[in-house]
Amino acid sequence: MKRKVKFDYARWIFVLPALLVVGILLVYPIFSSLYYSMTTKHLIKASYDFIGLENYKAVLSDSNFYKAFLTSILWTVGSLLGQLFIGFTAALAINRVKIGKGIYRTLMIIPWAFPSIVIALSWKWILNGVSGFLPNILVQLGISSELPQFLSDSSLVFLTLIFINVWFGAPMIMVNVLSALQTIPQDQYEAAQIDGASKFQQFWHITVPHIKVVVGLLVVLRTIWVFNNFDIIYLLTGGGPANATTTVPVYAYNMGWGTKLLGRSSAVTVLLLAFLLLVCLVYFTIIGKWEKEDK
Amino acid sequence: MRRKLAVLLVGTMIGSAMLAGCGQNGNTESKQTAAETGELKGDITFWHSFTQGPRLEVIQETADQFMKDNPDVNITIETFSWGDFYTKWTTGLASGNVPDMSTALPGHVVEMMDAEALVPLDDLIDDIGRDKFSKTALSEGEKDGTCYSLPLYSHAQVMWYRKDLLDAAGLEVPKTWDEFADAAKTLTKDGVYGCSFPCGSNDLMGTRFLNFYVRSGGGSLLTDDLKADLTSDLALDGIRYWLDIYENCSPKDSVNYAVLDQATLFYQGKTAFDFNSGFQIGGVETNSPDLVDQIDCAPLPKINADDPEYGAETSNIPMVVWENSEHPEICKEFIKKLYEKDTYIKFLEATPVGMLPSITGISDTPEYKENETVQKFSNAVDVITKTMDMGTAIGFEKGPSVQAGLLTSQGIIESMFQDIITNGTDVEKAAQTAEDKLNEVFSTVQ
Repeated sequence: MKRKVKFDYARWIFVLPALLVVGILLVYPIFSSLYYSMTTKHLIKASYDFIGLENYKAVLSDSNFYKAFLTSILWTVGSLLGQLFIGFTAALAINRVKIGKGIYRTLMIIPWAFPSIVIALSWKWILNGVSGFLPNILVQLGISSELPQFLSDSSLVFLTLIFINVWFGAPMIMVNVLSALQTIPQDQYEAAQIDGASKFQQFWHITVPHIKVVVGLLVVLRTIWVFNNFDIIYLLTGGGPANATTTVPVYAYNMGWGTKLLGRSSAVTVLLLAFLLLVCLVYFTIIGKWEKEDK
Repeated sequence: MRRKLAVLLVGTMIGSAMLAGCGQNGNTESKQTAAETGELKGDITFWHSFTQGPRLEVIQETADQFMKDNPDVNITIETFSWGDFYTKWTTGLASGNVPDMSTALPGHVVEMMDAEALVPLDDLIDDIGRDKFSKTALSEGEKDGTCYSLPLYSHAQVMWYRKDLLDAAGLEVPKTWDEFADAAKTLTKDGVYGCSFPCGSNDLMGTRFLNFYVRSGGGSLLTDDLKADLTSDLALDGIRYWLDIYENCSPKDSVNYAVLDQATLFYQGKTAFDFNSGFQIGGVETNSPDLVDQIDCAPLPKINADDPEYGAETSNIPMVVWENSEHPEICKEFIKKLYEKDTYIKFLEATPVGMLPSITGISDTPEYKENETVQKFSNAVDVITKTMDMGTAIGFEKGPSVQAGLLTSQGIIESMFQDIITNGTDVEKAAQTAEDKLNEVFSTVQ
C-alpha cells in the first residue's frame, strides 16, 4: 500500500524569504541584463526597441573591448599570482611562529579592514607625482633622479595597480591558507621526519595535498572578484592614462554611465558573465578531480 | 497544530513586511496639497551638491526655518558630490527614485528636460522677478519657450596667478596665450610648476582648457549643427598649445588629474597659474593662509592682444523641481525663500567671491559689500562678474543642447590628450578619432 506523502508547507514558507532574496538580487538582474542586452535601452530614456544581437556585434567589433579584455586577463593573472605567492608565503611563515601568532595575523589582515575608497585615496596620496611620500623619498634616497609617476606613467601604472591589489588581497589568502595549514595532523610530519623526508618532500607530499582544495576554491573566488574588480582601478586611474588600465568592468561602466547605452553595457556584462562561468567550469572540474583523488 | 501555528506566524510576518514595503510612499496625509488646505503640507526631498562647510549649514538653517514657519512641511536634505549626483539622478530616473527638488549643472538640466523629468518654473521666476535674472542664465534651462530651471548662483572661469612669483621674475600679468606660455615656462622652477594641464578622463578639465583657447579665437567645440569640432585649425592649435604647456610647465601626473587635484596644486602654492572661479580664494585660505595676499585673477588670455574681450565658461548653477514631485508647490515656496535678500546674501557669504549673485539688486547692497573677502578681492569680483556676463556653459554658445552636455561628460577629449601624451599619437589623427567618437555618442541622442 502506498503511503500518501504530505506536502510540507512549513519548510517552503521558511525558505521563501531566502528564495525571494536570491530571486530579486541574483536571478532578476541576470535575466534583465540578458534582455536589455538585446535592446536599445538608454539610461534616461523611457522607450527602447528590441534589436536582437546588434549590441553584441557592436561590442565584439570594438577594438577597445578586446584591449580591455586583455587588460582584465593580465590584471587577474598578475594580481592572483602575486596574492597567492605573498599570501601562501606569509601563511607558511606565520604557521611556524610560536608566540604572538594572533597579533601577526591581525596586522596582516589590516588592508581588509578598510573600504576601497579609503585604500584608493590613501594610495593616491602616497603615490602623488608631486607631493607623494613614496616618489619624494625615492628621489631623496637617490634611487630615482626625478619623481616617478606611478599613476600616470604608462610603463608603471599597470604594475602599480597590481602591486596595490596584491597588497590588498594577499591577507585574505594568508588567513585561509593558515586555517587550512592548522588542520594538518602534526603526526604526519613526525612520521615523515622519521622516514627521512626532506623539508621540501614534507611540503610537497603532506602540506600541498591537505590544502590544495582550499587553495583551489580561493583561486576560484579571487578570480571572480579580481576580474570583476572595479572600484580600486576606477578610483585610482579611471582606466587611464589612455585606457592603459581600462578593464572590462571599467569599459562596461563607461558604456552604461558615460554614453548611457545601457543595452550595449548589458551586452558587455553578459559576455563577462559567460567568460567567468567558463573559467569557473574549468576550475571546478579540476577541484572535483582533486576531491575524488583525496577520497 | 504547532506546524499550523508556525505557518500562520511566518505567513503573517511576510505579509506584514510586504504591506509595510508597499506602504512606504502611501502616506495619504502627505498627498494633501496646498490648494486643498490653503497651507503648505507634505514631505519633500532636496538633493544638493553643497557637501560641506558653511554652504551646507546655510541651506540646512534655511530649511529648518522654513519647516518652523510651515509646521506641516518636512524637508529631507541629501547631499552628493557633483559626480555622484549625476550617477544618482540618471539611475534614479529609471527607477523613479528622484527627489522633489535639486541643484544641477546646466548640462544636466538639458538632459533632464530632454527626459521630460522637470516641472516648468515660469510662475516661480515671475514671482521672484524675471527681470532680476540674466537672460542667458535663464535660457540655459529653457525649452520651447518654457523655463525649467533658475540659477541659484553664478561664477566664471578666469586666470589666477601668484603675484609674488610674477614680481620676483619681473613678469607682467600675461594678456595673450603666448605671454602666458612664456611666463609659465619661466616660473617652472624650484618645485613650482608654471601651470598644470589636467586631463584625467574622470573629469572635464581637458575639455575646459581646450575650450578656453578655442573660445578665445571666437570658435567653438561644436559646429552650428551641433557636431563635435576638434579638427578645426583653431582646435588643433589649442590642442598643440596645451600639449606644449604639459610638456614644459606641468607635473606629469596631471595627465590623470581631476578638478580637485588641479586646484589643490594652486592651493598649496605649487603652481604659479591656474584657471578657476572665485572658489580658488577659499581653497588657498584653507590650505595656505600665508599665500592669500599673493593671489589675484585676470581675464583669460587672448590669442592676439587686440582681440575682443571674451568669456569662455560661465556656470549658472540651477535649481530644478522634478516632475515626480508630489509637492511642487512646497519646492517652489522653499526656492523662493532661498532668494529672499537676507537668506540669499548669507548663502553667498558662505563662499564669498566663489558664488556670485545670479539676480540683480544684491551685489550693490551694503550687506553684501561689507564682506571682508568681497572687499579684499574686489578686483576678482569685477573680473569674474565681467567675464560671467560674456560667457556660457561649455558648448552652450550654440544654445542649450544635449550635445553640449555630452561634450563634457564623456571624457573623450581628455582621453584624446592622454592618447597623444602617453602613446605619442599624431595630434590630427587623435583629434579626428575623438571627434568621430563624440559624434557617434551624439548620434545616440538624436
